[in-house]
Amino acid sequence: MLTPFAYVRPASLQDAVAALTEGNAHIHAGGTDLLGCLRDEVFGADRLVSLAALGDLAGLRETRDGGLDIGAMTTITDIAAHPLVQRRYPGLAQAAGEVASPQLRNQGTLGGNLCQKPRCWYYRGDFPCLRKGGHKCFAVNGENEYHCIFGGANCFIVHPSDIAPALVSLDAEIETAGPSGGRRLPVSQLHMPPEQDPTRETLLKPGEVIVKVHVPPAPAGLYSSYRKVRTRRSWDFAVAGCALALVMDGDRVRDCRVVLAAAAPIPWRSPETEQVLRGQTLDDAVIRKAAKAAVANARPMTKNAYKIPLFEGMLLEELRKAAQV
Amino acid sequence: MADNETDIEGQPRIAPDAGAADDARPWGEQTRVVGNRRPRVDAWERVSGAAVFPSDLVLPGMLHAAVLGSPHANARVTAIDTSRAERMPGVYAVISRNTPEANPDWDYFSAHSGKLFYDHCRFEGDAVAAVAAQSPYQAHDALRAIQVEYEILPFVSDELEALKPGAPEVHSGGNRAGTQTYARGNIEQGFSEADLVLEQRYRTASEMHTPLEPHGCVARWDGDSLTVWESTQGVYAVQSKIADVLKLPLSRVRVIGHYVGGAFGSKLRTDKYAIIAALLARRVNRPVKLFMTREQTLLTQGNRPPATMTVKAGVKKDGTLTAIQFSGIGASGAYKAGGTSLLDWLAKDLYRCANVSTELTDVYINAQPARPFRAPGYVQCSWAMEQMMDALADGLGMDPVELRLRNIPAGTQARDDKPYTTDGLRLCIEQGARAFGWQEARAAAAQHSKGHLQRGVGMAAANWYAGDGGPPSTVIVRLYADGTANLNMGASDIGTGTKTVMAMVVAEEFGVDPDAVQIEHADTGTTQYATPSGGSKTVPTEAPAVRRACLAVKSQLLDMAAQQLGRPREEIVFDGDHLRTTDGLESLAIRELDRLRKQKVVVGVGQRQSNPQGVSITPFAAQFCEVEVNTLTGEVRLLRMLGSNESGRVINRLTWDGQLIGGITMGVGYATTERRVLDGPTGKLCNKNWHDYKLPTTLDVPAEVISEPIMLTDEQANIVGAKGLGEPVTIPTAGAIANAVAHALGMRLYDTPINPVTLIERVAAREA
Repeated sequence: MLTPFAYVRPASLQDAVAALTEGNAHIHAGGTDLLGCLRDEVFGADRLVSLAALGDLAGLRETRDGGLDIGAMTTITDIAAHPLVQRRYPGLAQAAGEVASPQLRNQGTLGGNLCQKPRCWYYRGDFPCLRKGGHKCFAVNGENEYHCIFGGANCFIVHPSDIAPALVSLDAEIETAGPSGGRRLPVSQLHMPPEQDPTRETLLKPGEVIVKVHVPPAPAGLYSSYRKVRTRRSWDFAVAGCALALVMDGDRVRDCRVVLAAAAPIPWRSPETEQVLRGQTLDDAVIRKAAKAAVANARPMTKNAYKIPLFEGMLLEELRKAAQV
Repeated sequence: MADNETDIEGQPRIAPDAGAADDARPWGEQTRVVGNRRPRVDAWERVSGAAVFPSDLVLPGMLHAAVLGSPHANARVTAIDTSRAERMPGVYAVISRNTPEANPDWDYFSAHSGKLFYDHCRFEGDAVAAVAAQSPYQAHDALRAIQVEYEILPFVSDELEALKPGAPEVHSGGNRAGTQTYARGNIEQGFSEADLVLEQRYRTASEMHTPLEPHGCVARWDGDSLTVWESTQGVYAVQSKIADVLKLPLSRVRVIGHYVGGAFGSKLRTDKYAIIAALLARRVNRPVKLFMTREQTLLTQGNRPPATMTVKAGVKKDGTLTAIQFSGIGASGAYKAGGTSLLDWLAKDLYRCANVSTELTDVYINAQPARPFRAPGYVQCSWAMEQMMDALADGLGMDPVELRLRNIPAGTQARDDKPYTTDGLRLCIEQGARAFGWQEARAAAAQHSKGHLQRGVGMAAANWYAGDGGPPSTVIVRLYADGTANLNMGASDIGTGTKTVMAMVVAEEFGVDPDAVQIEHADTGTTQYATPSGGSKTVPTEAPAVRRACLAVKSQLLDMAAQQLGRPREEIVFDGDHLRTTDGLESLAIRELDRLRKQKVVVGVGQRQSNPQGVSITPFAAQFCEVEVNTLTGEVRLLRMLGSNESGRVINRLTWDGQLIGGITMGVGYATTERRVLDGPTGKLCNKNWHDYKLPTTLDVPAEVISEPIMLTDEQANIVGAKGLGEPVTIPTAGAIANAVAHALGMRLYDTPINPVTLIERVAAREA
């Protein structure tokens, strides 16, 4: 049951930013995550600031440089279905298409997806965990099969987004508005590593709102993909995922980004994999080495060691697919 | 028979059931309505939202209640302060152990007695206090304001840990809730006769009840009389429990349950909520609505208990089973609740085997009591036994279908070898295998496998110990002057299509469309006693009683026609909605009967007769499955399934197929996604919502599910020739999937569920 809160729907971005700086305010975009968190008392809110009236924040536009601007209020469905996204950034289209269920994709927004709260059952349940201001991470000695194998430090969540890894792989940036003006920030720097602050998911400042995401032009030879493994085939978060962005020069990998989903508290770039691939021909020996490199430095918990063969196997499958193109 | 009774003209006579239909046989091959694909009689209501489920009910002046549950796996309540909650806006009443007048005795399934709000909460979610308020929000706000002090006690949430020396005791005296043994033949001799003996341990996770409509009710008092609208499988079961706890005569408790949004065994009985709603309603003198939240249904409304099963089986080279030794451990939960109920039945009853021994141990743990769950025990046992059968077949180099066909029993071995009334097990396996293309698919699996995508084909078979149905049931059918009818029965339609099936029976008898049958049901105030709809016995229990009530009406109609036509009764037969003379010379519509037109109604009473002695009326099933396993990721994709069932007569092919698809869907969840996760350090439930407790989605169910009914009428079963279907359709699913996965991989997984999390390490370890 929701606790009482005020609800405002500002007509301008400026008003929205102003409304967010007072009291315990939260943005209401699609609401698919927010309402669940409020109902489950994960956190409270004095005020919800709806962005629904800010029409400029929704939609996809090709930019002059040949890139793509995606408004923060664009629905996941619109991203998945957009012909330009499908043609130029298939990895992003696949990631969007793998999110949750059709109903949630119709309602959920890009900005909301990037800012979502972790699905950790201790965080969501009535456990006073570190992320909620408590004193410990209950996953360490508990049921941690869905938790991280990289970057755990003090809190062992995995970041739940499918879209964020795809955007990181494409070197996308966010543009924000805030009380002290806006800024641009790579998506790769948006999420908060728990060792810096286990109570926040992003580096956004109070009152700061994601306005849009800019995806740079697709370089010639770009191959992008997103793969998601989960225990059921819809309405589920990843138990393992990977976003590939390979810039191919013939069958040689000129440049690449490999970003793992459900591996770490933030979208997890795998420099080890990238290093193996960069400059190499995608033959099976390289692919095997790259897949192994992805998990070489993993630190599994008591119940999630399965993620090591899983990430390795998934990368094998995905890189082999890439090699066949 | 001459009409030799005097009766007052125009007064309906209630015909005695006996004599009307004693010589009735099941319908012959030719039926007009029975056997058709008939959409639900309440389809419009269900689809449009017009159907009023108990959770939809709104009564004038109604308040909303909410229950505060203990947040600990095991704790003693040392103090409760409700004073702040009582002063909150909209709050009308708060009850707890501090209100002794509203804290009656309550026992969870007999073995232990306590109070409704008990000092010792032995499982997370057990009720501590309850609130009635103007709005649901106010009720839940008030719960937050209740201060409870708990003494947190040591707990045990794993049934194997619970059996170890020194484990915390759920009840003093040890955690063994019960043991049971069974033996026939000589097990050691059986093993010595075997050419191959295998032994394996299997484990099935606890599957939680979470029907779409949560558990709950609306309670209203009119003076000293209580009416409860409850989402239940059996209104009479709810009535007797409420009457018992509140010390009320049955005549003061009316329970109504017209629609039920799913139950699956979890609503066979009522729970504390009905008592709490009634107590609150009496306290505030207003109707009170109390439905569990989703978290509360998952915490407190029952589960299929986990099972750890060890099977040792011996077989001769020719495929003859010589010995089966089965031991099973299950968990009742915090109170005795059938933790090993029926767990060994498939081991001792499904396949012919002279030497069998079984041993069951039921264990207390600090978790909610178990409840019956669609084929209790059987689904767990099938997982173990059907995998063992395939392992034996592998060991012998024999086809799994062939091994099963070599061990078909003629009767129920667990019940003194009473002969089966049909050869249903053989029919299901043979016909199912043929329709599925078993041999071809099995042979082609390897060639359809590409690299890391491995194909596999598997099957499993089953029977179900119930499914015969039986007394008591009393049904009243009224035929109106225009030839339409009213069917009055106590049974609930829990979403399976009971109303539709029964309307088809009435329609068959009176030559009308099922839409011409008005149905009153599931109301202790207006209908006759019925047992809860469960155990796959609703059709075989109620349909014969419905038909007998129709026959009782028809007997009177024959008399009327005989009188009107001046012909002996023996010369008149029914022909749809007409009666005609056997010589074909005279015919008149039922609605043209003068007597009917005068008295306006004919009433017939039907009762379920006893089943025949000396035979076993048993439904059978076999399922076949083709899967593709990704050996790099552990993903299992179900490509197609076929379910072959012998449950006697198919009354409605649509609801039959619906049962099969639903049963397979549930089995898919059991095999691949569902498991209760209790936190090791705290014993608290981790997955208490529909994101974390993973029910299968449409995409997880194979796109192709074929229903292959064995079309026969079980003549000995009852006068409609039908047996139960609702449970047989889900028993073999998980085992068939496990066998298909094993066929694909060439290795077995022994624990549920099978998905990337549980599969990939095993596969990777082998590849390495």
